[in-house]
Amino acid sequence: MTGIEKTPSGPARHSSDRGDRGGDRGDRGDRGDRGDRGGDDDKRGGRGFGRKKVCRFCVDRDAVVDFKDQATLKYFVTERGKIIPRRISGNCALHQRDVAKAIKRARGVALLPYSAAVG
Amino acid sequence: MAETQSKVRLREYETLFLVRAESTDEQVDALRERVRGIINREGGKALRFSTAGKKKTAYPIEKAARATYVHASYLGDSKLVAEVERNLRNIDNVVRFLSIKLADEVDPETRPVLEDVKVAGDEDVRPVAADEGRSAARDDDSDRDEASEG
Repeated sequence: MTGIEKTPSGPARHSSDRGDRGGDRGDRGDRGDRGDRGGDDDKRGGRGFGRKKVCRFCVDRDAVVDFKDQATLKYFVTERGKIIPRRISGNCALHQRDVAKAIKRARGVALLPYSAAVG
Repeated sequence: MAETQSKVRLREYETLFLVRAESTDEQVDALRERVRGIINREGGKALRFSTAGKKKTAYPIEKAARATYVHASYLGDSKLVAEVERNLRNIDNVVRFLSIKLADEVDPETRPVLEDVKVAGDEDVRPVAADEGRSAARDDDSDRDEASEG
């Protein structure tokens, strides 16, 4: 990280760095309750892995993604009812797809909201 | 493969449907039996029906905040699903339904017919869905959303 700061003339690196930070800002709304991890990132200059994230469906072989399982799916939506992105939930690509599909099905049968009022 | 070809292979499906909360238990039971009848008549095999009591829906459906959830799992083919859905569509008491294929190539012999299940609804348990321990995040959230909408 310090190396980058010493050579600000490197255009490619600089812009990529800025891109990272932009991403952080964009998802802060959804993070809210996960501020601790964001703090870690800042300390390491946005390069570190705050905490190793694991896909809970890969860890627990018995766990299946089921659209009827409201309690589990709630972990993967915000209070507003938005689907939490993979970079935050830590799901692997396969299971994130399953989860997203399950959430959308659950919305169709009113188990999860399309949009919930907040506050 | 050659020796199994003569055997019947069906797909496993599940259908969840929502019944209007005003309907009586007898109406729900009759509806369940009607669906079971269709499945067995059309060459399928009804495995299990589970009925949840009145549950609060995540959003109002036809201005009602509650509905009875009935879940059916069965074996059959695509024609059977079409027939079940056609019937559900014609029943006024059914407000939503959703059918999903769970598995391909299931041998009907291996899947026993299970007892029907009744799950209690949340009649008067929680007035509002609980979202405990998130109030701090909520303030943050709402601010941002308002900002992005404006």
